[in-house]
Amino acid sequence: MRTLHDDPDLRFTLLADICGVDTGRKMQVVYHLWSATSPDWLRVIADDLPRDDPRVPSVTFLWKGAEWGEREAYDMFGIIFEGNRDLRRIYMPPDYKSFPLRKDFLLPDDAARSPGMGVRHMEQTAPPADAPDEVLLRRSQLD
Amino acid sequence: MAADPTRVRSLDDPTVIVDTPATIYDAVPPYPPQTEREAEFYTLRDGEMLINLGPQHPSTHGVLRVVLKIDGERVVDLDPVLGYLHRGVEKICENCDWHMAISNCDPLEYIASMFSEALPVLAAEKLLELKVPRRAEYIRVLAWELNRISSHALFMGWLALDLGGLTPILYGFIERDEIVEMLASLTGQRLLFNYLRIGGVNGDLNHDFLSRLGDWMSRAAHRIEDSQTLINENEIFVKRVRGLGTIDRATALRMCLTGPPLRATGIPYDVRRAHPYSVYPELEFGIPTRTEGDSYARYLLHLDEIRQSIHIIDQVLHQMPDGPVMAKLPRLLRIPPGRAFAALESPRGQYAVYAMSDGSDQPFRFRIHDPSYFNLQTVGLLMPGNLIADTMAIMASLDPIMGGVDK
Repeated sequence: MRTLHDDPDLRFTLLADICGVDTGRKMQVVYHLWSATSPDWLRVIADDLPRDDPRVPSVTFLWKGAEWGEREAYDMFGIIFEGNRDLRRIYMPPDYKSFPLRKDFLLPDDAARSPGMGVRHMEQTAPPADAPDEVLLRRSQLD
Repeated sequence: MAADPTRVRSLDDPTVIVDTPATIYDAVPPYPPQTEREAEFYTLRDGEMLINLGPQHPSTHGVLRVVLKIDGERVVDLDPVLGYLHRGVEKICENCDWHMAISNCDPLEYIASMFSEALPVLAAEKLLELKVPRRAEYIRVLAWELNRISSHALFMGWLALDLGGLTPILYGFIERDEIVEMLASLTGQRLLFNYLRIGGVNGDLNHDFLSRLGDWMSRAAHRIEDSQTLINENEIFVKRVRGLGTIDRATALRMCLTGPPLRATGIPYDVRRAHPYSVYPELEFGIPTRTEGDSYARYLLHLDEIRQSIHIIDQVLHQMPDGPVMAKLPRLLRIPPGRAFAALESPRGQYAVYAMSDGSDQPFRFRIHDPSYFNLQTVGLLMPGNLIADTMAIMASLDPIMGGVDK
């Protein structure tokens, strides 16, 4: 990242986006960078982060503005950005325990409307192609 | 037994008697600090105190709560507290199909919702590699630019309102109301249009819309100049905002700013030119920039952008092609697997979406990059050293929309 930012031939000085992704099997952190010389955004993916303890180095020393982006990824996915001085919940309350955008966070069953019948059509989570067995298992129970 | 004023029932649990009652107005959180920065913020030095601003302060443009650390009348530090409007749009979009995502994204940027509802549309079209009919593209550009003008008109009114001037916002609302009425006759809605569709737009131009537009266009340029003389030459206004909240180029890039705050520092990053989408490459328009980087520069930049938008609308009306307004698509839309990053230039900056599809009719990951969110965190850098009365002006000049900040 430091090379991309500082190298005079590259000069990717603008961080267009930073976000977390949960593919169901592993975690990713996706950066989109922009440079005045590049025709398109450069996509950098920190891949294969373990789901139980995802850790990546923070980029706040290059882009101070990534701080809230990293806080959001921490809040929604539980990804730890090492070096971010203010890594706490930003949307959810401080004592909240789970990570809402993870794929194993299924939206609750609308029990009052259809007891025992599983989630409504709108609330079904489409499992990813490479989802871990437990997610598929939960899905098949719901179906 | 007489009530002991030092022993009060807790707000959370009335059966519990607490010594010092917690109130919703307490600035200090009722838990130990979780991070280095939080511990530093809530440690007060001599003469400093915390005050709580919001979440329902009328000048915060929504439901934003800011804890200010002040020393006398000067702001030393601040800690924005978000999440009062959080509804999990990303999760909702991952659990509904692509068409539903359009109306779910609508209220993100509720002042200019023609932009936020374009996110799933642009992402899906990029994944489908779909060619949208040219007439639909021109109608989109027309709607976007009209919406940009209405948003900018409101911005200028708000900025003056937060500085204590009541008149300009009335002028801002005149412009906005005319445009909103115009778009209502096109789309059927005044605020959340739900007009764009994957592959086109919901309906063709109609006579009512065109007559209103022609009527407005004949007066628009003149009216904008008219209302700007109300503020631009106003000595009090200029004295208040000039040099207020100045950002330099390097800091703007470091803080991930986009949109008018970035262009006010002199960096011509505009998604319409940097990564052209729709028919913007065929249109001729300039990207106004300023070099001062202060609130006044941001204000003047908005004026310049209104002029450019009027220029674009003029060209669009002259070049409007004939043809269909929707591409032929199946009702049940399955998007091919892949990843796409699509962005557009909203009135507040780069509105981007990073979408992943797994081949089903629902997005697999739908990441929304909101410019207000990234622009708002600059207040932590700009406020320290300023008067409390100026915090609102700085915040207004960054123009955050809390619907998008809290997603």
